[in-house]
Amino acid sequence: MRKLLVMIVCIPMIILLSGCTDRKEIEEQAFVVAVGVDKTDKPNIFRFTFQIANPEVGSSTISPSPNESPQELVSVLGADFLSATNAANSSVAKEITLEQVRVVIISSKLAKSNEFIHLMQTVPSTVELRLNAQLVVSKEKAADFLQQNKPKMETRPHKYYQYMLDRAKETGIIPDAPLSRFYYITEGDADLFIAPLATVKPEDKQEYKSEDKYTAGDIPLKGENKTQFMGSALFKEGKMIDELTGEETRISVMLDPTLSQQDFIANYKDPLKPDYKIAARFKAEEPKITVDYRPNGKTTIYADINFRLDVYSIPSTVNYISDDKKRELLRNNLERQLKQMTEKFIEVTQKKYKGEPFYWSLHIRRHFLTIQDYEKADWSKKIYPNAEIKMNFRLTSLEFGKVLRQSDLGRVKD
Amino acid sequence: MKNKETLISRDLSKNQEYIETQYSHGVNMDFVSRPLTAATGRYHLFFYSTTVDTKQLSNHVISPILSSKKDVPLPALLAVPGIESLKDMKKVEDALSSGYVVIFQEGCREAYAAKIPDLKHRAIEKAENEKTVKGPKEAFTESLDTNISIIRKRLPSKDTIVENVEIGARPAMSVSLVYIRDLANPEVLDNIRKRLKSISVDTVCNIEILEQFIEERPLSLFPTMLYSERPDNASNYIAEGFIVLMMDNSSSCLIAPATIWSFFHSPEDRYLRVIFGNFSRFIRASAYLITLFVSAVYIAITNFHSQLIPIDLLLAIAASRERVPVPVFIEVLIMEFAFELIREAGIRIPSPLGPTIGIVGALILGQAAVQANIVSPIVVILVALSGLSSFTAANYSINHTLRISRFIFICASSLFGFMSLLGAIMIWTVYLVSIKSFGVSYMSPATPSTKSTHDTFFRILLKKERWRPVFLKPQDKDKQ
Repeated sequence: MRKLLVMIVCIPMIILLSGCTDRKEIEEQAFVVAVGVDKTDKPNIFRFTFQIANPEVGSSTISPSPNESPQELVSVLGADFLSATNAANSSVAKEITLEQVRVVIISSKLAKSNEFIHLMQTVPSTVELRLNAQLVVSKEKAADFLQQNKPKMETRPHKYYQYMLDRAKETGIIPDAPLSRFYYITEGDADLFIAPLATVKPEDKQEYKSEDKYTAGDIPLKGENKTQFMGSALFKEGKMIDELTGEETRISVMLDPTLSQQDFIANYKDPLKPDYKIAARFKAEEPKITVDYRPNGKTTIYADINFRLDVYSIPSTVNYISDDKKRELLRNNLERQLKQMTEKFIEVTQKKYKGEPFYWSLHIRRHFLTIQDYEKADWSKKIYPNAEIKMNFRLTSLEFGKVLRQSDLGRVKD
Repeated sequence: MKNKETLISRDLSKNQEYIETQYSHGVNMDFVSRPLTAATGRYHLFFYSTTVDTKQLSNHVISPILSSKKDVPLPALLAVPGIESLKDMKKVEDALSSGYVVIFQEGCREAYAAKIPDLKHRAIEKAENEKTVKGPKEAFTESLDTNISIIRKRLPSKDTIVENVEIGARPAMSVSLVYIRDLANPEVLDNIRKRLKSISVDTVCNIEILEQFIEERPLSLFPTMLYSERPDNASNYIAEGFIVLMMDNSSSCLIAPATIWSFFHSPEDRYLRVIFGNFSRFIRASAYLITLFVSAVYIAITNFHSQLIPIDLLLAIAASRERVPVPVFIEVLIMEFAFELIREAGIRIPSPLGPTIGIVGALILGQAAVQANIVSPIVVILVALSGLSSFTAANYSINHTLRISRFIFICASSLFGFMSLLGAIMIWTVYLVSIKSFGVSYMSPATPSTKSTHDTFFRILLKKERWRPVFLKPQDKDKQ
């Protein structure tokens, strides 16, 4: 009986006293959509810029506040993300939460410094910051990037990042780089990590290159919004070491079985009339990587890539469509072009970077019984740079769009 | 009961005096005491003019007596289907109360009851509360004889038994158990009989009251007997081996034992083709989940797990909540309560005023409440959704279960979010599994798993239904 009484008193007490912990009403929170981090003069102190979405603009038709801005920028100094949110609360009325952060923008200066990895180390312990937020490296200061990025059509900031990153990732010109991937790769200490590169300050000298040979900033783009997402920043051991162009990024994404790539349209050399280009939609299947590991000899890595091409335009009007021989020629030539392009980049990674951004270390791990063995064999320093890599591109399907023959321009001109 | 052993006297006038005092003749305006003097002797008739068929009375009782020339015993004389000889006054009174005509004869120690009652009741009408589009339309009415005749029409067999059990005393009412003799489990039958006999209250007027007297856990949230007004539903259950309880004055029956599934099944599920029927089951199953959990999940997510919401929706919620003065929990409670008000008023309101409810409900509580910033539009949607979904319940009894459970879950989720919500769901489910209805597990045949028609979440092709619900322990398990 006494026990029962104690229970009757205690159980409601537990519920009443501990109930509603962590309860936060939605409208009492300020949702940060993007965080920018910059290096400051002082070591290990960073400038955090929070881009906060204003829910009242553009979200609801019932209570529009026409004079409010869709976003607010707050910039504070701090040592890590969480303490910075508290500091920012000195000017923002609502409680700042990081749980809806879509992008974390790092200035390339910070990315190249040794402090970067120390800053990133504080993130996983921050329960709020979701690890599927994208890491983006901006060429200028992240604060400037956030300030000057003024998209015209997507006034609500989260929508802009969502559409921008999704579309650019689909075409492969920037990689998918959630924070979680940064930790996997950095802590795995075997591969290189690539993060999207962006800028709001295009360079002055702008020249035409093939559509994906740019990095952010040198695209000859004219428009009101100067923002460019192109190429990627290459991280080795948690530190940025170089920039990759859009083309190199596409190759990396294509060779990485863990990243998916939608189709994209690119130009290829016309094999019979090298002055012209052929535009085609490229779609690669997931690559098949096999590693022939020789502990004492030369390791060979085989990468088989099946891809399909839908040719859209052949400005040279060479008849690849109905001429079997020419079509065979085109097929072989395209395979060769891709192989050359890829091999060139792989050579760079082996010689210059001494590591690969394709996450291929996953495929060698199975050859070791213990983690110690694997670490001792040292994929990044010993195996990969010396490995022989055999690429095998196979064009599984070549299509020519809706037309059955090229129009005869000679007769038209006549 | 002092008249228990009162015997019938040979003296007609003594009998007349006795009955007239017992039945307050002269005060009771419809009690008729009529002497008859025929060629064969003196007779006296007693009856309630309001409960007997007067046409039959004059044609088949009075005129044969008056025109008889020889002293033939009354049973041979009267041309009525039922005639009973009564030995003592107790029986006489019972017969009179049941609406029979009681005839005394001078010099006879026996009285006779001619069964020509004409108790008024509603005609057979369409089912009001359990509607179907495809399937029979008739519903039970408030006359036991009519109801049993409908059941007999559906189960014409010598095995269909209608057994009467008397309960109460003032007046004693009889409960009819309808079952199939070689199917129904005798243990369950005994269980029901025992519970019926143990009712000590002096009056149980109808089946709805009876339900509360014989169910195992009167305080439980879950009904353990299926209440149905559809004869087709009742006879389907009887044919499976269930037992149906019926009473006079009730336009419904009780089906026992009930499992949780029977509350969610509509007879139409079986009338429709298997795919259509299952589609409708699927819609209903989703509706139950919506009505139970949608408000609770909304509270849990918005208050505790806002990272789960897509940012567009999150900002939309935040924008609409910006001007609402109360927390989400109170906001949801206000709207749920308002909806319950509309529902309650909708039932009680006289039908000429019915349309008012629609206007008040839709306009005032929906739109105006949003415009006045008392609730946010999303909550209105959620509450409307959960309210609408609760109406898809195939049975009215379970409707209350769903509605009350919803409030439990709402309160639970406001404490610790999903953690407490899951805790509440767990306790609720554990309770659900522990219930028994007349010795049969409430969740069977899902748990404990037994052979059955496989008619729980979804049903299978009728041709493939091989077994009767074995959890009932029917005497014959094989259907085919």
